[in-house]
Amino acid sequence: MMLLPCPWCGPRNAGEFKYAGEGGARPDPATTTPEEWRRYLYFHANTRGWVTESWYHGAGCRRWLVVERHTLTHEVRGVRDAVQVAREGTR
Amino acid sequence: MSILPTTRRRGADDATDRRLPPREGEVIDRRRTVGFTWNGTRYTGHPGDTIVSALAAAGERVFSRSYKYHRPRGLLTASYLDPGTMVQVGDEPNVRGAHRLLTPGLEVSSQNTWPSLRFDVKAVNGLAGRFLATGFYYKTFIRPERLWPAYEKVLRTFVHAGEVPPDTDRGYYDKRHAHPDVVVAGGGPAGMAAAVAAARAGASVMLVEEEHQLGGHLRWGGPGDRAALHDLRAQVAAQPGIEVLTDSVVAARYDDNWIPIVQRSLSGVDERLIKARAGALVVAPGLIERPYVFAGNDLPGVVLSTAVRRLVNLWAVQPGQRAVVLTANPEGDAAIADLEDARVEVAAVVDARRGETITAAHGRQGVRAVELGDGSRIEADLLVTAVGWTAPTSLLNQSGDNPVYDPRTARFRPDPARMPENVLAAGGIVGEGDVVQVVEHADAVGREAARRALRTAGTAVTVPDLAVADHPEIFSNGTGGFVDLSEDVSAKDIVTAAAEGYDSVELVKRYTTATMGPGQGKLETVNTVAILAEATGSTIAATGTTTWRPMYAPVTLGALAGRPREPVRYSPMHPWHERHGAVPLVAGQWIRPDHYGDPAAEVTAVRTTVGLIDVTPIGKLDLRGPDVPKLLELLYVNKWQKLGVGRVRYGVMCAEDGVVLDDGVTGRLGEQHYLMSTTSSGAAAVWEWAERWLQTARPQWQVHVTPVTTAYASVNVAGPRSRELLRRLTDLDLGAESFGYMSVRTGTVAGVADCVLWRIGFTGELSFEVHVPAAYGLHVWEQLMAAGEDLGVRPFGVEAQRILRLEKGHAIVGQDTDGLTQGFSAGVDELIKLDKPDFVGKPELVWQHGRDTHPRLVGLRTLDGTIVPPEASQILDRAGGIAGRVTSSRMSPTLGRSIGLAQLDRELAAVGTRVTVRLPDGRDVVAEVTGRVHVDPEGERQRV
Amino acid sequence: MTSTNGNGNGHRNGRVRGYSAWSLLRHGLSRSEWPRAWHDRELRPSYDAVIIGGGVHGLATAYYLAKNHGMTNVAVLDRSYIGGGGSGRNTSILRSNYLTPEGVRFYDRSVKLYEHLAADLNFNVMFSQRGHLTLAHNDASMRTMAWRTEVNKLQGVESEVIGPDEVKELVPYLDTSAETRYPILGALYHPPGGVVRHDAVVWGYARAADAHGVHIHQKTEVTGIDVERGRVTGVQTTRGRIATPVVLNATAGWSSLISDMAGVAMPVQTFPLQAAVTEPVRPFLDTVVVSGTLHVYVSQSDRGELVFGASVDPFASYSMRGSLEFTEGIAGHVLELMPALAKMRLLRQWAGLCDMTPDYSPIMGPTPVEGFYVDVGWGTYGFKAGPVSGEAMAACLAEEKPPEIISAFGLDRFLSGRLVGEKGAAAVGH
Repeated sequence: MMLLPCPWCGPRNAGEFKYAGEGGARPDPATTTPEEWRRYLYFHANTRGWVTESWYHGAGCRRWLVVERHTLTHEVRGVRDAVQVAREGTR
Repeated sequence: MSILPTTRRRGADDATDRRLPPREGEVIDRRRTVGFTWNGTRYTGHPGDTIVSALAAAGERVFSRSYKYHRPRGLLTASYLDPGTMVQVGDEPNVRGAHRLLTPGLEVSSQNTWPSLRFDVKAVNGLAGRFLATGFYYKTFIRPERLWPAYEKVLRTFVHAGEVPPDTDRGYYDKRHAHPDVVVAGGGPAGMAAAVAAARAGASVMLVEEEHQLGGHLRWGGPGDRAALHDLRAQVAAQPGIEVLTDSVVAARYDDNWIPIVQRSLSGVDERLIKARAGALVVAPGLIERPYVFAGNDLPGVVLSTAVRRLVNLWAVQPGQRAVVLTANPEGDAAIADLEDARVEVAAVVDARRGETITAAHGRQGVRAVELGDGSRIEADLLVTAVGWTAPTSLLNQSGDNPVYDPRTARFRPDPARMPENVLAAGGIVGEGDVVQVVEHADAVGREAARRALRTAGTAVTVPDLAVADHPEIFSNGTGGFVDLSEDVSAKDIVTAAAEGYDSVELVKRYTTATMGPGQGKLETVNTVAILAEATGSTIAATGTTTWRPMYAPVTLGALAGRPREPVRYSPMHPWHERHGAVPLVAGQWIRPDHYGDPAAEVTAVRTTVGLIDVTPIGKLDLRGPDVPKLLELLYVNKWQKLGVGRVRYGVMCAEDGVVLDDGVTGRLGEQHYLMSTTSSGAAAVWEWAERWLQTARPQWQVHVTPVTTAYASVNVAGPRSRELLRRLTDLDLGAESFGYMSVRTGTVAGVADCVLWRIGFTGELSFEVHVPAAYGLHVWEQLMAAGEDLGVRPFGVEAQRILRLEKGHAIVGQDTDGLTQGFSAGVDELIKLDKPDFVGKPELVWQHGRDTHPRLVGLRTLDGTIVPPEASQILDRAGGIAGRVTSSRMSPTLGRSIGLAQLDRELAAVGTRVTVRLPDGRDVVAEVTGRVHVDPEGERQRV
Repeated sequence: MTSTNGNGNGHRNGRVRGYSAWSLLRHGLSRSEWPRAWHDRELRPSYDAVIIGGGVHGLATAYYLAKNHGMTNVAVLDRSYIGGGGSGRNTSILRSNYLTPEGVRFYDRSVKLYEHLAADLNFNVMFSQRGHLTLAHNDASMRTMAWRTEVNKLQGVESEVIGPDEVKELVPYLDTSAETRYPILGALYHPPGGVVRHDAVVWGYARAADAHGVHIHQKTEVTGIDVERGRVTGVQTTRGRIATPVVLNATAGWSSLISDMAGVAMPVQTFPLQAAVTEPVRPFLDTVVVSGTLHVYVSQSDRGELVFGASVDPFASYSMRGSLEFTEGIAGHVLELMPALAKMRLLRQWAGLCDMTPDYSPIMGPTPVEGFYVDVGWGTYGFKAGPVSGEAMAACLAEEKPPEIISAFGLDRFLSGRLVGEKGAAAVGH
């Protein structure tokens, strides 16, 4: 089992976390079109390599985390608290 | 010859005593004997004997019949991997007879031999061998098609394995978590030295050895090896920080050094799975001796040199009487010395290093003669081969390494450059050398492993090179024979498969099943690759090898499962329910009362007097902060900004695709304090959902979410006399004016402070939901029951609850909706406020509403009210196609007729439409679409 | 029409020949060599169609293109060896007891094709219609089983809901007592379901396609797809460029990557799906047993091994290394169902890659790039759909429009919001 280095709890078994996948930016609901909205809902890069994705430390600090992970090797090179990322407005 | 095994006496036929006089280094305790049975006959051995060593000492040399041709098979490796020594022990199938130690009273039998091991009727398959060539089953039984099932039944009778009796006990297996700095896989000289070095450097070490003692090949070596063995064992014993696990195996290596170790030979535990998160893994499994492929190579009496050395030196068993030895390396030479020492006549030594070879072994039940390359024929009952080694690189492959074939040493070797930082290798898998060199190398590897695991500052330990000895490439001599003894795959099968187009290593493996047996190719893979390479005119290096997948050694399902741990949740009132005849219902994690004997009467009690239901599993989230209304506004489809303190509102949540996610009521307890309820199964998901929006999308909002599901025990008091009942236990003003419908109050109930009461009701009756601090749940429940006795209060369960809510037309998320049901198909149209600027899933609901083509949730009544169409009955359109389905249905005790809810296509959804319902028994009944609320559509009863 | 195509694996009137009990006897007596099942061919500079992916979907499409539509100038490319992906890594369970009418009709056609596949391909694929049981441990799954049964029956597919006693009769090793943590309340019994020898299906299609003149190119990796003015003109491979007006992406685990080469985005996420086998034991399990609640499916192969599968891994990945949690989970759940198996040993685990779509249904048909077709997004149920997918995609390629049977599975449904409703039942749908 892969280890995820939680910024609050330290390295923990991936089983403590819930995976929530790649997330795209949410279109403005007031102006969005069906095509744009459904690309947001259903289409992901599905990269074979480094991805940025969301995990929830449900069995730990209960924080949502933004994780940079390699989808082939499972190396993890960055884990940040989602609030911090959201406040910076970058992903 | 009798074919009844129980009549055969020990000592009959060729069974004679092969036990040698006591030997230095033997592992048996001659002072004691252990009795056991083999195919019904009594045998004895000594503690330390394996099943097979004891049988071999008694002169037995056939232990099984082969898979396809039922040829007699004897011992080959005298180790865990021995393909011909799988036996049934009691109710345990596929026991490795050459590894399992004797214990008193073992009942051992051969597997899939009938009528007996000595005389097996399926041996006639051998005569048909030429027609049973590899893959024959793909080429026949094709027509006529109808006969295939009969053929298949016959094929299945050939399954070659032990049996699992249906009444086998679940046994006792457990697990352990460990966090060693270093795991050393392999307890030979390299493993011991690496473990000692790592522990001296301050690391905690687990030293794992598959056999029953530490020492590896030193155990069957000469005096020098034995001295080194004693020294290393003493160092291990004296060194704190090393945990030695024998008869244990590192089964795999997963991401980030997550390492399962299977521990056997424990007392009171059938098998234990140790889950180790290791700082560093040192892979030191040694080398596996490779069999030679030639005509007759599967006869009992054809053995590997290491098997001879083990038999003679560990168990003091004379392996035969007259031997031919084919040797290409020092281990083979040493086996010759052992044979002579064991008074076995060595009739011929065939030295492959001088270009000498053997042609074939001859015999029926075992080797009788060996034909040499020069054409001579030598009578012998033993043929010993020492033709090379295989590096068991599984754990390294699982760490990312791809082994590379090295023709100089005639084996695949690891490529250390591809190994991750936390995996190292030592011992024979890396290279050869004398004990001193191996120990010196492993010592450095152990220190480096500790340094990496402990993240010690400083430079890397310099690991000396370990010399690699040249070895001639000897795999098969082209005369035939078996490449995989477990699967009865011959060398010719490989050649044939390649010629038919199955010419890559993966295809040949799948087509012939070579390497797919119990040893997973440890003995067979390299020979398979070598023969394939020759057949395709390629090289071994270009042909490559198959992927070594976990497990390294098979692991019992019991150990993988561990102790059964499937927790369930009970409410604090559960003991009361049990005492009062509740029929339990498994509802997700919760065990709840389904009913107390008569659900219809429970419904009637609620409709006429008062009932109590334990609703503790309802999810509850405590929400605090100035921005709670904003959160509610975002998560729910309806509006929340104007909810006043003391008021409660029902809400529905959808996901971003508009699909209904959850529902429940939320009440405002204070200016910045709310209590949200969710479905029982949705409690965790909604909490996570709220946190997700708060943390990832609205970090500026000030909301704190606390799950309080089990902090409260919850009781719904429902029925026209519920106010009367509750009044007897609280000072709160329960009057219709002061505590109106859809309100919340906090106060004391039955002497318990800090209770939360909301006046809501899925039953449609006057009702109060009381949330009590959990420790007092049972107390409050009992007080309510006692106080309501004269009112006729009775408990009701989930079944009555389902009927009551169905009478009121309330949908259950997940039952009346499914994974694609969007908001406007859930019967909550009036709740969805598309004029809100934003809420989760709004765009999809706007479009759903605009298209107006969606199915509807409707009420349904069969014209014949005595027929209740079972849930999931399909509703047909006029063309006989599916137009919907019954999602909920019951006989209503209140109305005395059948009622239901249905998902129905828009075209048929208007109230008053008659539709056809197909019952499971095939009958069609007519039903009429109605409003969803079957009882008290105006809702007058709950507002009193 | 008779063609020998080089040697013995010819076909006559479209039917492949060469394997029979008689030929087995003849070869046994004469000890002569069997003809190659398929051949290594020169890569032509152009083909009428190029199929990417030498699994059951790609090979079946090639076979039906040749057999049903007379298109034989077709190449099937595989980066490794045929059947090395999902086709060789699945647990080979066949069934048609789906939830939606579209799904049931589609998979029923597949089962029908499988029933006659051995005779059609002249290759025994060993389809064992031993029956398929989906256990229900709670009310909700009982309802889903009933729902599937009713939809199945309306499509003419044999399914029924049975009680614990009947379950016990079919599988005596199941613990049907009421005291278990997950009591068996009943099951969806689907007699036509069963298992097949997965590799044989791949090889049978490959041999038959080869006999019809299709070129199978193993160890030929696609590195690019040429698109000019919105239409496909060729593919780039590690062995050179191939000019072609028609390209089919029939890959799994690579479907995003291949589609990206043509500039077409796919609504898929790739997850590993793991499986495992035990050591063999004497046959005791005659049906396929599935528990959705416990995320496990079990069958016993003709070799005596128990074959286990579960749902996909909990996070997206292209790794096929496997995990300990999978084996722990599967063992725990199997013992929950059949406690007598504790002493059996797990021999080997492996993983394959599954391209999951939002609605648990495949993506089949044309794309916005003209000439570029997809047969992807097969999630965990691709193998069982191999024959019908091949048949339908062959028709789609030959006639340049999707046949009715796959019309619900187009790529455009995700943007138009017309999802297929298998999600309700297919989460663990083996």
